Amino acid sequence: MTQAELAAQIGVSRQSINAIEGEKYVPSTVLALKMAALFKMPVENLFELEPTD
Amino acid sequence: MKSNYLFPYSFRKIGWILLVPSLLFGIIYMIMDYDLGFIEGTAFAIWGEENFFDTVFFKFIENDLTDELIGIALLVGSVFVALSKEPVEDEFIQRLRLESLVWALYWNYGILLLAIIFIYGSPFFTVMTINLFSLLLIFVLRFRVRLRAEQKAMGNEE
Repeated sequence: MTQAELAAQIGVSRQSINAIEGEKYVPSTVLALKMAALFKMPVENLFELEPTD
Repeated sequence: MKSNYLFPYSFRKIGWILLVPSLLFGIIYMIMDYDLGFIEGTAFAIWGEENFFDTVFFKFIENDLTDELIGIALLVGSVFVALSKEPVEDEFIQRLRLESLVWALYWNYGILLLAIIFIYGSPFFTVMTINLFSLLLIFVLRFRVRLRAEQKAMGNEE
């Protein structure tokens, strides 16, 4: 799945997917849950806490 | 920051059409010392002045409407450009917009502070005139730059 396809499926801009992947942006809970639901896995598989958080 | 308070995306182009000519005219107008031919007109002054001396209230006065026309076009145009939605609105774009706005606030008032400290007399009138529109314009600039930077960052990946 490309960034553009993921963005289209969730209903956000491609820039936001790119920024999330590039660790420049932390998505909201709703957005993270949507992504997890799309990939059919728990949200923790997609996102994890950093020591600095 | 909800995008409910924003104009539809279609307003963006209208804004630019208003903004660019009025900004150019405004700059020329200021360089030409506010003398570009007289657009004779009657204006309703809630709070005004006649003959450079007499303050008047709620009176129709004779006025050169050039500056009013330029100002209205520039202000409305800038508001449309600054506050219209992106084609795709999401939380990331809204975050960029908020950060750009804060950035513009700091820069606009930082420069204004320096101007207050270092500029005096009639030249300061120029500063004040610019300051009427500078916040919006700085915000537009910053927001566009941020969006362009994100676009470019995207071009590297897929």
